[in-house]
Amino acid sequence: MSEATIPTINFRERAIELLPEGASFEACLTCGLCSSGCPASGLANMDPRKFIRMAMLGMDEELSTTPWVWLCTQCKRCQHVCPMNIDISQLVFYARGNWPDEKKPSGIVRSCQLARSTDSTSAMGLPPQDFVFVVEDVLGEVREQQPAFAELQAPMDKEGAYFFVNQNSREPMSEPDEMVPLWKIFHLVGADWTYSSTGWAAENFCMFSGDEAAWYEVVKKRVDAVNKLGCAVWLNTECGHSYYTMWHGIQRFGLEANFRLENLVSCYARWIREGKLPVNADWNRDGIRFTVQDPCQIIRKAYGDALAEDMRFVVRKLVGDENFIDMQPNRSANYCCGGGGGFLQAGMTDQRRLYGRRKFDQIQATGAAYVLTPCHNCHSQMEDIGHHYGGNYRVIHFWTLICLSLGILGENERTYLGPDLAGIGL
Amino acid sequence: MIREERQFTVDLAVIGSGLAGFAASIFAINRGIRTAQIGNTGAVAYTTGYLDLFGRLAADQLLDDPWRGLRQLAASQPQHPLARVTEAEVRAAFDEFVAFLTEAGVPYGQAGERNVMALTPAGTIKPTLCVPSTMQGGVDALAARARCLIVDFRGLRGFSARQVVANLRQEWPQLRAEQLVFPGMEHGELYPEVMARSLEVPACREELAARIRDVLGDADVVGLPAILGMHHPHLVMAEMERLIGRPLFEIPTMPPAVPGIRLREMFEQVFPTRGLTLIPQQKVDAVRFADEAVRLSLADSYGPIAISAQTVILATGRFLSGGLLASFDGISEPLIGLPVTQPPSREGWFREQYMDKEGHPVHTAGIVTDADFRPLSAEGGPYDRRLFAAGLILAHQDWIRGRCGAGIALASAFRAVDAVGRELARSGGQSGKHQSAEGRRDV
Repeated sequence: MSEATIPTINFRERAIELLPEGASFEACLTCGLCSSGCPASGLANMDPRKFIRMAMLGMDEELSTTPWVWLCTQCKRCQHVCPMNIDISQLVFYARGNWPDEKKPSGIVRSCQLARSTDSTSAMGLPPQDFVFVVEDVLGEVREQQPAFAELQAPMDKEGAYFFVNQNSREPMSEPDEMVPLWKIFHLVGADWTYSSTGWAAENFCMFSGDEAAWYEVVKKRVDAVNKLGCAVWLNTECGHSYYTMWHGIQRFGLEANFRLENLVSCYARWIREGKLPVNADWNRDGIRFTVQDPCQIIRKAYGDALAEDMRFVVRKLVGDENFIDMQPNRSANYCCGGGGGFLQAGMTDQRRLYGRRKFDQIQATGAAYVLTPCHNCHSQMEDIGHHYGGNYRVIHFWTLICLSLGILGENERTYLGPDLAGIGL
Repeated sequence: MIREERQFTVDLAVIGSGLAGFAASIFAINRGIRTAQIGNTGAVAYTTGYLDLFGRLAADQLLDDPWRGLRQLAASQPQHPLARVTEAEVRAAFDEFVAFLTEAGVPYGQAGERNVMALTPAGTIKPTLCVPSTMQGGVDALAARARCLIVDFRGLRGFSARQVVANLRQEWPQLRAEQLVFPGMEHGELYPEVMARSLEVPACREELAARIRDVLGDADVVGLPAILGMHHPHLVMAEMERLIGRPLFEIPTMPPAVPGIRLREMFEQVFPTRGLTLIPQQKVDAVRFADEAVRLSLADSYGPIAISAQTVILATGRFLSGGLLASFDGISEPLIGLPVTQPPSREGWFREQYMDKEGHPVHTAGIVTDADFRPLSAEGGPYDRRLFAAGLILAHQDWIRGRCGAGIALASAFRAVDAVGRELARSGGQSGKHQSAEGRRDV
């Protein structure tokens, strides 16, 4: 353990800076809606209300050193339910950034370092040439083995393509076949898209480490890559925080981005509405039930309920109205799964699972056999708490179910399906 | 980054998301008025769930018959908002509001001819008109002085079974308290919200029911803090009753409590399916009365939003919710700058005794309106004929002492929406049929 000490922040001063215009902490009733609605309440003997009250009382040393800032996922649900609209997650961001690197959870720091170690910006350190190789390799295999997709494309560094598509590193690193369903969807709708060999990755743990300069560096590299290719739209894959770090980062750092940001879920919804993705629920003859998890980073923290509605539209089309059951609460009021904020990388497994207990209960209450979510962190966390607490549900990506519904899901693209669905359409 | 403002065009914009705002939206939805509702997390989250019409006419005069009370009010305080609506309107407002809640999954009993005496978290009793169906059992058990067990939970603050029993034992001898450990929550502070959500999981219901059965004794009925599920609570309660073998009822807890979160989450989920554009968790930044429409501007985390409305209902509440602003030189209405009726100077705001049963003059400050609840300008005429006000922002009422908060909210929203309908018909602005507002969004 290093001897570094954590400097002390004046939280009261920072908190007052964050207040919306005209607001005042004197009007805080200490009503506790924030703590009542927070899955991290009670962990490390802390909760959002306590955090704010301690800030107001000047207990800076305690707040500067509480490990709770690594158990809060910065999901902003406390702010969402607060009549005062107090942004506690931003205080947590300051607190995180204030810890010396050697004291921060090493998994988060390492993921940020790796993202800065190559032009890929991949949190798993996958260099550009390896990414290009994996994409070409997998593409060649699909073209060879799946005759219906002999013409499948996965363009790389295509200048002027409409969509610049990012890619979560998990797929090229450890489950490359999981990239294929999305390529097939693009193929089917005739999307003009490209990957980039630089700035392609869809993770940014630098924000979660509280390292503003590193966050900027990663976002800047990605913005430059999109600008360089001259794409009209940066299309975010099924991932939550990669969207938020880019979207919020561009505004926060005043970056010049000559493109729009879009989310894959909105595209799925649009393509279904336009008839380009003729999905249906005919395959779901046994009435298998599905629920959906709202990733905080794209729903509550960014788009709000409009995207949540798009997501539900897509799910209902895919599984049938009667087979979709919403978890409670939902949309912008949904709980963080406990996998966000770098929690999955932070190594604090017991606390992460305690946090995730609420998500587990939500899923159990639906009785669903499958949870759909367009976020890799949500995905991993819900799988883990399902195993840990003895749930019998599975977690799947949207692209899997879309291709299953369309009858184009390949044999190697079914990792996350259970035995009830694994054989459909083969 | 390339981004565009989102724009909505509606017949009615409801500003505020307390009881009055939600009631106005319900009445508007039912009348096919294209509506958008905007409002920060409102005080509705703090409600007990009880809907008071009118419980107290004067100090020490609790009302058994609220309707008779209203007639007396009309004579003694003609400026009171409840004195400016008809009894028929009040009845219609309660019936329509309660029917909507019931249909939407939070069942309520109907408004009757008499107030009922309902339990508070402290074990005192208060007169109210309508209670959630999960709380009706408490009213009945109290009235019958039934053999009753009140249960609380270790770690749950803001609700004490011993306190309830201590305060009521005198008049309710067959009341008994027990404390249990809530399943899966053996340590630390408990929140009713978390417990309620846990009880939506069948395994948790079974475990809790087993623990309650162990301490049932001879009780014929069991009272619990309000934790029986967040959504469709009557179903959770019915299942728990089956498992325990006794009727149950809920008692409200101190905020942050379940009944208000239940209502809020229900509204947020049901309204959009009924074609209403709901923009929760946001405050309106500015209102501009242009010739062709009233223009509201605001922003959410995603970016700027513009709403163009033919009419507006201001239901922004009092000081807590930001509808009124108190400063050293007086009380103002911060959004539009409407005149506020108030004591002539700050010295006149409060009486000497904090607990004075007459209340304090500052609590009757507010917006003065015409008969259709159009706010008046300083000159005495309507500020703008497209602007209406509803709920606790209205002057000449002290809802806490009068036990009449829901009564004012529902009745004034009812009259205001009726007037909105007439205004839209007059100006030809109403679409006449139910349709959702059009939204445009882009990055």
